[in-house]
Amino acid sequence: MATKELVTKVWIEDGCIVCDACETSSPTVFEVTDDTCIIRPEALSAEFTKPLTDSIVEAAEECPVDVIKFDTVAGEAPDAPAGAPADPAEASVEKAPAAAAAKPAPVVEAKAPEKKPAAAVAGDPDPAIQSLLRAATSRGGAAAILAPDEGSAPAVKALQSTPSKDLPPDARQARIMAGTKKASEEGGVSRRGVLAGSACGVGWLALGGTTAVSGLAFQRFMMPNVLEEPDPKVRVGPADVYSSMNPGEVNEETKPDGFWIIRNEGSIAALNIICTHLGCIPNWLPNDRKFKCPCHGSGFYPDGINFEGPAPRPLERFRIMLVDGIVTVDRSKKFQYEKGEWDNPDSYVEV
Amino acid sequence: MTMALPSGGLLAASDSNALKDFINLICEPHWFFIISCAGLGVFLAGYRTLTKPAVAWIALVVFTLAYVLSALDPDFRSIIVKPDNVPITIMMYLVGFFLWLAFRQAAVNDEKMASGRPLTEAGSDDKVLVWPDLVYIELIALVFCTVALMVWTVILRAPLEQPADPSVAPNPAKAPWYFLGLQELLVYFDPWIAGVLLPGLIVVGLIAIPYMDKNPRGNGYYTFVERRFAITTFMVGFVILWVVLIVFGTFLRGPNWNFFGPYEYWDPHRPAALVNINLAQIFWVQMLGRGIPTEGFAFIPHYVIRELPGIVILVFYFLVLPGILRRTVFNRMGNQMGAVRYHLMAQLFLWMAFVPIKMVLRWTLNFKYFVAITEFFLNF
Repeated sequence: MATKELVTKVWIEDGCIVCDACETSSPTVFEVTDDTCIIRPEALSAEFTKPLTDSIVEAAEECPVDVIKFDTVAGEAPDAPAGAPADPAEASVEKAPAAAAAKPAPVVEAKAPEKKPAAAVAGDPDPAIQSLLRAATSRGGAAAILAPDEGSAPAVKALQSTPSKDLPPDARQARIMAGTKKASEEGGVSRRGVLAGSACGVGWLALGGTTAVSGLAFQRFMMPNVLEEPDPKVRVGPADVYSSMNPGEVNEETKPDGFWIIRNEGSIAALNIICTHLGCIPNWLPNDRKFKCPCHGSGFYPDGINFEGPAPRPLERFRIMLVDGIVTVDRSKKFQYEKGEWDNPDSYVEV
Repeated sequence: MTMALPSGGLLAASDSNALKDFINLICEPHWFFIISCAGLGVFLAGYRTLTKPAVAWIALVVFTLAYVLSALDPDFRSIIVKPDNVPITIMMYLVGFFLWLAFRQAAVNDEKMASGRPLTEAGSDDKVLVWPDLVYIELIALVFCTVALMVWTVILRAPLEQPADPSVAPNPAKAPWYFLGLQELLVYFDPWIAGVLLPGLIVVGLIAIPYMDKNPRGNGYYTFVERRFAITTFMVGFVILWVVLIVFGTFLRGPNWNFFGPYEYWDPHRPAALVNINLAQIFWVQMLGRGIPTEGFAFIPHYVIRELPGIVILVFYFLVLPGILRRTVFNRMGNQMGAVRYHLMAQLFLWMAFVPIKMVLRWTLNFKYFVAITEFFLNF
């Protein structure tokens, strides 16, 4: 069947360029003023605009800036309110195509399906639609539609069970607003609130995630690509090699591993080669019997105690132990004299 | 000790050796430092005579002659021909030249002032045009510097060494030449003082000069007689505590960071006994003849009692001395500056003086710290 769309409401959006095109097409609806275009007051009713549908659509299409907007309702709109049975309008609409099909009238053959419903609606207003539209377009219409009382027209009452998509725009909007208001008054979670909140949350999560990932990438960038971590434990040979040293003697062979093996009275220890002043590597001077730093002149006795130059504290010692008779130095554990840690049995090996 | 003799025959071998030994002797750090300070004092006292062009020419010739003759000595030559040390030679000539230039103009002005004649700068226009006057000079300077740097890079090879070995440090390990003064400070002070506090004070102090020193004299003209204290203080800080320390680090610091004379062979095995002592040791052990305190008293920890003499001295030096100076030596200046400016200046001044005090004490007495609270890295 023909579903001729009828204009129920027409309005002008911002941006009119005062070109007079619409007034030319549909002078009874549009009035072009000095600076914009308005809808004539009488054209604000649906009954007025429905018969003028063609000219309004034409005017809207011709408008160079497309500011003419209109709402339409399907030609069979009277059906929508819960199938109010046997409306006269419905009957006429329903019948029109049938009649056109049944009676081949050569002259109006092509146009009949289009024209007839419009003519029927315009000429024979459907009471249901009229009451519905009156309620919808009057002040407070939305409330009247949403909360019909005993005196409301049957069509308005029937709206309660109509799906939103079939409602006129005002009623649809009013139903959405009423639903939102109801939800927020009940303290429940509104659809809008959920959407806005989750969109906001997703945005912040994305920002935080991006920042965190780029921070990790930056940190990774600052790290060396190859991290050589030699085994902190070094096996430096059998104990008798070192027990044969004289007290106060220093074995320099292990210096590339980061320590000297020093011989004390009755024990050996592993002395860190890093100067405690600013981290240079001191040299062992056998003639002077001292460690001497080439950077700032710090001097240390053979047992690691500082005595000259700027070094503030003695050299550190590493953990040392005997493993199967082999002297093993663990560079991951240090012992500091000023903390009294050189008494720790891990810091020396008795020989 | 190997020695190449001056082949020119200016000096007989024995004379030359005796002279070198004498110079090595007076280049012992405390002598070198005292002579440098005395030299600066003589220069500032006699600047009107000593900056006369004839005297300056003689000084230039004598210095150059001494430098060239010294280069005949292999040990001295090995120092000055190192590519690292070429800037040192340039620096000594440039510092000397600019010192002479500034003090010469000050001397001329001061003489004019004394005889009531107008100053050199009196007739000159206050304003000079940026374009073309300044820009042309800058352009020419830029061209000359670029050419000089290019020639330098082409002629002298970069002093690259073998790949670094984490278990071996060069002996001696020297900072870049312009930081040798700071490296020298690290011998006498804790790293956080010598490396952070003192350089920070230098920078902050230089920034603070225009805020502390509101004296308008000397603005826009050269003078020494009107700004004796300011210029002398700056000269001590710049020439002695910066330039002389760089020369120190270049010529006198050898292997194991020991002192060597400029004509002395850098023997890494030369014995040098330098056992440092702290003030606590001097006070409790040597003066009172008792042990260093190891027990606290009531709520006072033992290290405070142990370091009490040093704490007393430092409190006196930094907190009491400014007040005494204000009532005596700095009386007039203190009144002109006002309390805040004066005390700021006094703190900076005393910190600057603290450096040579500790250096001389170290060289003469092997003195290490006034206050040595190694437990908290509070060593002064």
